[in-house]
Amino acid sequence: MRSLLIRCYPARWRARYGEEFEAILVERPLGPFDVADILLGALDAQLRLRGHGATTEHERGFTMTLRIGGFAAILGAALLALALLLGSGALVRIDRVVPSLLILTGSLALLVALAGMSAFQARAHPRLSWAAMWLLVIATVSSTVGILVGLADSSGEGSFVWLMLGLQAAVIGSVLYGIVTYRALSTGAALLLVAAGVLLFVGLAVSSTDYQQGGSLGIVAFYPGIICFAAGWFVLGVQAIRLDRPATAPPA
Amino acid sequence: MEPKPPEFGRFAEPSLLILTSLSDGPKHGYAIMQDVEQGTGRPMGAGTLYAALVRLEEQGLIEPLTPVDRRRPYRLTAIGASNLAEQLRGLSDFAQQGLRQLGETQP
Repeated sequence: MRSLLIRCYPARWRARYGEEFEAILVERPLGPFDVADILLGALDAQLRLRGHGATTEHERGFTMTLRIGGFAAILGAALLALALLLGSGALVRIDRVVPSLLILTGSLALLVALAGMSAFQARAHPRLSWAAMWLLVIATVSSTVGILVGLADSSGEGSFVWLMLGLQAAVIGSVLYGIVTYRALSTGAALLLVAAGVLLFVGLAVSSTDYQQGGSLGIVAFYPGIICFAAGWFVLGVQAIRLDRPATAPPA
Repeated sequence: MEPKPPEFGRFAEPSLLILTSLSDGPKHGYAIMQDVEQGTGRPMGAGTLYAALVRLEEQGLIEPLTPVDRRRPYRLTAIGASNLAEQLRGLSDFAQQGLRQLGETQP
């Protein structure tokens, strides 16, 4: 437990204070207050040491938001891809509230990602950035409504509409954000997100017409779409984190 | 022009408590925590202690000494002592003013 808590601090902090800090934790029995206090202390150290090599407060804030945005992008991509898979019923048949919850948390993570990485894309396309942001807000709100409707309506039909609305808003928002950052962050990620948007909408359109005849042709487009979507945000996130690492940080 | 006093944000109170604890001699982290707890009746967590210690050290108000058995003592610097005295005088003036307003000032 002690070593786990100490590992929450940045490596540079541990190199300087780790040993004496551990000596204190050995002497003092840990209660819930101590654990919470140490976790907050670790967060403070992470935020303070982030971008310490930067010369201005603006640069410090910039590198910090970029890294947070990167991690949030990877998390959001994983959650939304899982929501798409579960929502399609390909893996298991489950209550629709679960994919709704995943869309809600995934959309929130992508909102954080978008806000964090927006510091980097230099406001080159402000309207597209804001449109992407609002679409992710719509996705978040709509999945929240989907969850509430799903809890009230056992048939789940009502929540499905909100679920699909949230999903489509998240996908369109992601495509727009890919376009916004194609120069600043990653052209590959932008292409993947655009491809995801096309494939997912083709998949959904074909599935809804094909469903009447009992077929599943839409899957051919739908699953590659999920992979492109997750991969696009993942690449964006990794690129943001890599940009945060570099020469701006002094040696430990 | 007088130098700007250091800013400690939400760690201002723990910083003052640490400086006060170190005013009667060097202490390591755990001893500071015990001292603060005895003096205020409230525990100070290790996370808060080190967040404040790092800031105090960066501002040059305290300095680390050679560790003994993995425990590293810290002591007040001259600037730290002067800063503490200034803060305590400010608090004393504030307390006096509050007591005067309450009509409880002792002759």
